[in-house]
Amino acid sequence: MSRQADRVRQRVFVANRGEVALRIVEACDRLGFETVLGVSSADRDTLAARRAGQVVVLGGPHATGSYLSIPSVLHAAISTGCTAVHPGYGFLSERADFARECAANGLTFVGPSPEALETLGDKLSARELAESLGVPVSAGGYAASVAEAAELAARIGYPVLIKAAYGGGGRGMKLVESDAGLAEAWAPASAEAEAAFGDGTVFLERYVTDAKHVEVQILGDRHGNRIHLGERECSVQYRYQKMIEEAPCAALPQATRERLHDSALRIARALDYVGLGTVEFLYDVRRDELSFLEVNPRLQVEHPVTEAVTGVDLVREQLLAALGEPLSVRQENVRLSGHAIQARITAQDPCHLLRPSPGTVKRWRPPVGGGLRLDSHIYEGYDFPPFYDALMGKLVAWGPDRASAVARLGDALADFEIGGVTTSRDLLRSITRHGDFLAGTVTTHWLNDRFNDLLGDRNE
Amino acid sequence: MDFDLEELASIIELLDKADFRHFSFEKGDLRITVSRDGNVPPDLAAPAAPAATAAAPVRAATVPAAPAGLRTPVKTPASAPARTAVEPDEGEIVITAPLLGTFYRAPKPGEPPYVEIGDKVEPDSVLCIVEVMKLMNSVPAGVSGEVTKVFAGDGELVEFGGPLFAVRTIA
Repeated sequence: MSRQADRVRQRVFVANRGEVALRIVEACDRLGFETVLGVSSADRDTLAARRAGQVVVLGGPHATGSYLSIPSVLHAAISTGCTAVHPGYGFLSERADFARECAANGLTFVGPSPEALETLGDKLSARELAESLGVPVSAGGYAASVAEAAELAARIGYPVLIKAAYGGGGRGMKLVESDAGLAEAWAPASAEAEAAFGDGTVFLERYVTDAKHVEVQILGDRHGNRIHLGERECSVQYRYQKMIEEAPCAALPQATRERLHDSALRIARALDYVGLGTVEFLYDVRRDELSFLEVNPRLQVEHPVTEAVTGVDLVREQLLAALGEPLSVRQENVRLSGHAIQARITAQDPCHLLRPSPGTVKRWRPPVGGGLRLDSHIYEGYDFPPFYDALMGKLVAWGPDRASAVARLGDALADFEIGGVTTSRDLLRSITRHGDFLAGTVTTHWLNDRFNDLLGDRNE
Repeated sequence: MDFDLEELASIIELLDKADFRHFSFEKGDLRITVSRDGNVPPDLAAPAAPAATAAAPVRAATVPAAPAGLRTPVKTPASAPARTAVEPDEGEIVITAPLLGTFYRAPKPGEPPYVEIGDKVEPDSVLCIVEVMKLMNSVPAGVSGEVTKVFAGDGELVEFGGPLFAVRTIA
């Protein structure tokens, strides 16, 4: 198979937009693969559209008619003679039906098998898989009725989360504190899940009140090799949206870290996992307890921090693994060096609860310096469209230790000149200067609680 | 069909090493055509293009066939998309593709096109089909007038918003 990847001229259809489309195009360029980028009519002038080998307009500005339209993406990929499709993150990246259609039309889907996508897409089945492998999960499970749910909640203790089986990433969750709250929320939770995800299955889990978000980067090939590339911490979240991510997680005791990595590899092995994936956990610092959350079967927004500390080009490995090449790294060669932190700069207004603030980017002068990386599709004069997510760029700072990485990120944020649109830059900078963040004690609800203090800090 | 698979494999292997643009092989009712530069002989271009009017295909360009050589060559937009906006003449309206797909001027291969240049159309007159993954979407004119130009070539990939026809509206 490896010979074939050399011999066949690869042409990769990039089924995404923004910074990740650019990231994929550049990885393909370095591999000598041709690229075709599918864009919406609002994205003709993006940087990725300028860099891609070819550009095809899939549909109108709204994602449903373009980036989410499976027939349009397939038709475009086939008609332009592509051999593979890279779905990036979001959009079609976790759709088992899309992965199947790609295979049926002779296109290599850059991602795990449709079966793996199905198992992981259903959060209840993913939880059951983890449990069966001895991976720690938080107390909970499936309940068929409100009576069963109340019984289960009594056993595990309030507060509990009602989670939609097809939710994930913070979507489709309800926090309840009592029997009365459970009785009230149960039916609407199921109805909302049905409406939002097309399946009303819900389950219960104990709510871990004070936890860090930790996740393990896994990578597998078609030859039975599966490795992990260490963990990341993403506890700085606002309403479940990650804002700052880092690698490694400095708060983990070594024994817990090993247990975390081992748990992730067990899941990878059970699924015969091919390509990149992220196994997410909550870490209860006080109890030194891990609990499995979900697996993201795709490239992740925060992958650069792992690249910064391991030196492995994850998108390159992902593409080659999908095409049948063996991994170029072995577990024993994965060495972590220093610490890396990423800040997501978004077109969102911190003074108005991070509401989107699209518009024309009049000034865009990124900082330059040793140990810095910027993944971004923005340029001066770019008209930031209102139709998609607010991510403008990911600023990554590396340092020999956590303190120097944080300092470098803070300085770089201060030097980053952005004009024309309101961004999260100043909020991010306040976070990097906050005592709790410097001490590494931040948990997932920290930013929600401290949001207003941090805004005050900006105006000092 | 009576042919030797091994013989076919050795032909392909030889071709892989040879410098050629077009190769045809006929034996009985077996006919193999391999093209490298994407120029399909007209008799093989599916479906038969009914006198594709010299409607300067706005973004048409051919792309080399996949090196295995057995894929049907495909047409794709050029790498630097010559998206020179189609300038309609005075009184003309450009009908654009409502979705990305393959442009067909006739209901079925071999049948006459829905419309020819000079035809009068009504808002609900069907001008063409845009096929997306085997799903045929007919495109109505949306206006009354006379078809004056055809921009897209039959069987060609058209992008969302790409120009298909010009219609001179009746004043």
